[in-house]
Amino acid sequence: MVFKVLSGNGAQAEAARLARVQVIAAYPITPQTTIVEALAEMVASGELKAQYVKVESEHSALQVCLSASALGARTYSATSSQGLLLMHELLHWASGQRTPMVLGVVNRAVAPPWNIGADHADTMSQRDTGWIQFYPESNQEVLDTVLTAYRLVEDPEIRLPAMVTEDAFYLSHTFEPVDVPDPETVDRFLPPKDARAILRPGVVSRLGSFTGPDHYVGFRHQVAEAMDRVLPKLQEVESEYARRIGRVLGGPLVGYRTEDADAVLLTLGTTSTTARGVVDDLRSSGRKVGMAKLRVFRPFPVEAVRQLARTVGRIGVLDRSFTFGALGPAASEVRSALYGIPSPPSVTSFLSGIGGRDVGPQDLRRVFEALLVSEAPGPRWMDLETSGEVAAHG
Amino acid sequence: MLEIRFHGRGGQGAVVASELLAQAVFFDGKVAQSFPFFGVERRGAPVTAFTRIDDQPIRLRSFIENPDVVVVLDPGLLRDTPVTEGLKPGGLLLVNSPRPPEAFSLPLGGRIATLDATGIALGRKVGTATMPVVNTAVLGALARATGAFTETSLERAIISFVPSHPEENRAAARDGAEAVRTEPVAPSTVAPAPAPPAAPLPFPEGPMASRPSHVLHTSSWRTLRPVIDRDRCTRCNFCWEFCPDDAFDLDAEGYPLVRLSYCKGCGICATECPPDAIQMVTEA
Repeated sequence: MVFKVLSGNGAQAEAARLARVQVIAAYPITPQTTIVEALAEMVASGELKAQYVKVESEHSALQVCLSASALGARTYSATSSQGLLLMHELLHWASGQRTPMVLGVVNRAVAPPWNIGADHADTMSQRDTGWIQFYPESNQEVLDTVLTAYRLVEDPEIRLPAMVTEDAFYLSHTFEPVDVPDPETVDRFLPPKDARAILRPGVVSRLGSFTGPDHYVGFRHQVAEAMDRVLPKLQEVESEYARRIGRVLGGPLVGYRTEDADAVLLTLGTTSTTARGVVDDLRSSGRKVGMAKLRVFRPFPVEAVRQLARTVGRIGVLDRSFTFGALGPAASEVRSALYGIPSPPSVTSFLSGIGGRDVGPQDLRRVFEALLVSEAPGPRWMDLETSGEVAAHG
Repeated sequence: MLEIRFHGRGGQGAVVASELLAQAVFFDGKVAQSFPFFGVERRGAPVTAFTRIDDQPIRLRSFIENPDVVVVLDPGLLRDTPVTEGLKPGGLLLVNSPRPPEAFSLPLGGRIATLDATGIALGRKVGTATMPVVNTAVLGALARATGAFTETSLERAIISFVPSHPEENRAAARDGAEAVRTEPVAPSTVAPAPAPPAAPLPFPEGPMASRPSHVLHTSSWRTLRPVIDRDRCTRCNFCWEFCPDDAFDLDAEGYPLVRLSYCKGCGICATECPPDAIQMVTEA
């Protein structure tokens, strides 16, 4: 094991290298660009034996990857924000065709107005595309999650694509030590892709043809069933990762000091790290609070959230994006998951960090204080106080 | 409520027929609902359309499973499509065919009506010589055979809404009404043998077509076939090159051979052939 100081983008590229991806196709976009730059250099130097396909758009990038996946190759791409939105049509193709792959997504705000800061609106608006979604909080977790995601998505019982996200700049451009496992150890955890190709040379078959109402529903149901198998399978994969690599990832919902807590805050991505420190501070001043990181948003870990809710009076959900006309997307899911349980906790939707707004300990303290005094459902926009004129940049 | 199901092929006007029928029914002061069901949206592919007629608001938005009337715009469909499936006992089967009603059967009994709508459309120059549009002649026959809507309203709908050659279409509708022959059919004394239940196929893993296109014989769509005049053919192979369905082979001497089990009769080969050596002829 070797520690390297890597950015989140570097961790994505290292993970793709360790996974020995065979086909890479991506289109550069801030703040994702350094991922594909690093991979292009690895391919050019011969360090990574892969085909790097240059494309004219994100739409084409994903098409290349899912076609290569159909032919049995392990494929990787990465994008962000508007680039992910341009992929939207093909996101449905990837899951519907059952072509597994891993896509790195640097979570960035969606225009207008233009903004390149951390924000989950890009991936949240892809939640119904049949992709598995991970929201890591550190560069170490990015690397570990990409490797486990490949093992998960290529499992014959799953065969679905996965996004591994990173908060823009808070991970993508943040350098920190990452424990990089040696390639031989990774090879034992992640053998070459089971070449259960959909398309095989010499076997005439058709992919992407028309299907009438009689059978279409059956194929959609297959995707739903595969999605239902993801969380049990993830548990197996993470156990194997812990055995081989020695790190425990913790499943889809990772709680911290939630026992006997009056109020628990659910977070996604990098705010999780800061929230843990705030929980410790508040605990030391006698406030019974805890937090839980929602690592997996699709499939939504309904059972884990219900389990957590059994012992908690109030739940706050901190979303870094908003579903207009409703709530924060994770808050909506949490409420839906808790429907019908006996004496459910209150659920408050908090919005913080939108468009790259910084979320510091003082901001999270305000969130916890609001949660401890009120069961109001929200949504509560935490970042609306600004000073000075509206600045139009660029 | 009267429920009518149309069976045709893309390009024959089955969908437009159901829309015109809805308009005619509306002019009669009744309530109508017409809607199509497409599979692959291509010329020549089987198409189904539905029309409901009632004096009351229609409280259904679903396919018609048990029609009172089945209208068949292309007699070729009788070969491979169970067009009378679900037709109510005593119902009406209206077929575009030059043959008499007696040439067709209806095991549960009812009425069979026929007219040569293709001949009428060709005579009135509705559509083209190779692709006659039979829908207005069939609607005229449907009005006469069912009495469910007036011929006056049908003609008004045609004049108001048919964009091309409305007068010729009105004349075709009148011809259709005059030409249709309807005969009652007694139920068959021999009960039709129940079809053996089909063995359920395993559902495929993933959206892969289990039968690739080379074993799918899509030629049932065809209403026209290419006939090659070898005396005029220069063996340029443009037909082979342009065929979108790869339906051409070349024989040992390099002359084109049409694989009719794949040819959909689109006529691109005939259009592209430099010496005009390919004629599109109507399928019998």
